[in-house]
Amino acid sequence: MSARVNRRQFLKTTAGAAAGLSGLAAVRAPAFAQKRELTFLSWNHFVPASDDELRQQAEEFGKQAGVTVRVDTIAHLQLPAKRAAEVQARSGHDLVHMTADDPFLYEKALVDVGDVVDELGKKYGGWYPFSKEVALTPSGWRAVPWFWISFPATYNMTHFRKARLETPKTWDELLKHGTVLKKQGNPVGIPISHCADANTTFWSVLWCYGGKVLEADGKTPAINSDKTAQVVEWYKELFKDAMEPEVLSWDDASNNRFILSGKGSWIHNPISPYNTALAKKMPIADDINHHNSPAGPAGTHSAPPIQTVGIWNFSKNVDLAKEFLRFHFGKENFDKWIVASNAFNHPPLRNLADHPVWANNPKFVMLPKEAEFAHPRGWPAKPNAAVRLIDVNYVLPDMVAKAIAGMPIKRAIAWAEDQIKLAVQGRLETKGKV
Amino acid sequence: MAVGPRAIEAAGFPGLGRFARVREWWEQEHVFGYGLILPALLLIVCLVAYPFSMAIYFSLSDYWVGSPGTFIGLQNFRDILGNEIFHQTVYNSFVFTSIAVVFKTVLGLWLAMLLFRTLRFKRLIRGAVLLPWVIPTALSTLAWWWMFDSLYSVVNWTAIRLGIVAPPGPNWLGVTGYAMSAVIAVNVWRGLPFFAVIVLAGLVSIPREYYEAAEVDGASSWGRFRHVTLPLLKPVLAVVILFSTIFTFADFNIVQVLTRGGPVNTTHLFATLAYQQGLVGGNLGQGAAISLFLFPMLAAVVFIQLRYIRKD
Repeated sequence: MSARVNRRQFLKTTAGAAAGLSGLAAVRAPAFAQKRELTFLSWNHFVPASDDELRQQAEEFGKQAGVTVRVDTIAHLQLPAKRAAEVQARSGHDLVHMTADDPFLYEKALVDVGDVVDELGKKYGGWYPFSKEVALTPSGWRAVPWFWISFPATYNMTHFRKARLETPKTWDELLKHGTVLKKQGNPVGIPISHCADANTTFWSVLWCYGGKVLEADGKTPAINSDKTAQVVEWYKELFKDAMEPEVLSWDDASNNRFILSGKGSWIHNPISPYNTALAKKMPIADDINHHNSPAGPAGTHSAPPIQTVGIWNFSKNVDLAKEFLRFHFGKENFDKWIVASNAFNHPPLRNLADHPVWANNPKFVMLPKEAEFAHPRGWPAKPNAAVRLIDVNYVLPDMVAKAIAGMPIKRAIAWAEDQIKLAVQGRLETKGKV
Repeated sequence: MAVGPRAIEAAGFPGLGRFARVREWWEQEHVFGYGLILPALLLIVCLVAYPFSMAIYFSLSDYWVGSPGTFIGLQNFRDILGNEIFHQTVYNSFVFTSIAVVFKTVLGLWLAMLLFRTLRFKRLIRGAVLLPWVIPTALSTLAWWWMFDSLYSVVNWTAIRLGIVAPPGPNWLGVTGYAMSAVIAVNVWRGLPFFAVIVLAGLVSIPREYYEAAEVDGASSWGRFRHVTLPLLKPVLAVVILFSTIFTFADFNIVQVLTRGGPVNTTHLFATLAYQQGLVGGNLGQGAAISLFLFPMLAAVVFIQLRYIRKD
């Protein structure tokens, strides 16, 4: 066969085929355009049923709005890197789960959600004070406060009853009670190690004694004070008289195991040990109860993990994303989501916190009150990059550990002050952000 | 029938003539040679050279996650050198590496000699010895972490039952000396098979005649080890120590899983500190600068070792 194909013929044929294909595409394109997709990046929740409920709501919203809503969840430790990658690439999801200082760090990459915040605030009796501290940047609301995780005291009622003790109202009382409880063979436990809980408790105790790490300007170290010395001294005594040396090696799950083992009498932690005991039908669930985080000379303060949701400013679905947030914050939906999380997700809005999951359970009834004295880390400074560095380098628990190992308290505080100065020096320089 | 390029061209496929020319060009030795190297070169450029240059660039800027920084010269390095946690990390790295490598060398040699003997189930035992090296580190270290747990330590439980230590036993991951011993022990446990297997390969390659000659000369078993085995193993040992030093210096998993650098930063290594500062803390500039400190140190180790090998 002398099928001679010359260049012209070839071009004709291929051009025709290409035109045909593009014609097909032209027919289908509008169909694609109609199917808008809204995407939400979040973590794998510690209570998986909470994610299931969120996905359910996403599907429902999708049906109503005629769009597809995709909720992607990843391990919580991978979330910071993923957020960073999306900002670098200026593409990714529309809605994104943020933690503590992220609305400040990503201020320039997030849209103003003041309208949604105002609307929800009016609808539900106002936001708790920490919401403003964590999401209102100098340029406006860069995230909608989503939920927070209460950080109360968890204690073993049987051990307290045996020692004829009431629950401690103050940190000082905890030291006194703890001394008795340790003699009884049931020490208390606060981690003084490289873990997140060690940071959380230290911030709480320091604030209760009137101390602070940074001045309100966010860049002047304020750790070197008599108040800090008092707190470190308190920690030293608590370590010696009321705790076991094991707290120096604890991770975030150690205190859970400590209370669940039946040995420990008191820990400072979210309600997860109790929920674990219930889920695994452990008899110790009956002994475990909670009370509010203790107070100090300067009142009660605590540093619970606070979560927010932001919308990237490179999202093409900003209005749709806001609509989804309004839908999720609808009373019925938010309530369902709280129940799915088994009281783990606390609403940042006052009226939503008035939910039977807490009110009807005597072991949970005090939890919503924690919102009144919660602050983001760094307070009275606004959240900033230096605070994050102080936290991730465990400067505060290490200061305590040094004093416990025998370093004079003044020197341990001076060491921490040096570290804080370095963190402030190396912090992200952003105009008007701090 | 094979159809040559000219025949195809004659049949009216002008493009194939070009193909033949390309083929001719490709088959020249210098082009073909470089062509073969190209994929490897591309891989090295993409996976080694590019990240390395980026790390240098990051270390010279105040680059934060999500916020491209400006050039700040050597400021990051100055900040790090003035930081007590970094001094502690340098000290830890040297203590960790030197002790772990000495243990791995001595025990590895010993293990290799044992494996070299004619044993029953030789293959099975040789395979089993490799297990610690084959299991993903993060997983096996989790098992160790559980064994060192403050409340449920199997190590302490056994030692207390055997009457070796008084209850409650050492706080493995909470006290400086113990924590360092724990991370070194796990590193030795994991690195030992690598040592043993490579040294075993070296042992197998030593001709039997040398031993027979030594025996005829009346050498004791120690004499045979000292004057035959050791000198002939030297090149293998030097290479394996070199590799092991690099791996140990740059270790990350074991410390991250067991102690996260604690207690009070006394087990931090370069990699864990760089991760903490750069990725978790978001300060990519300083994180990169910390990890770059590894480079001159490892380069020095490689230089000294390679010189030593060549001299031999």
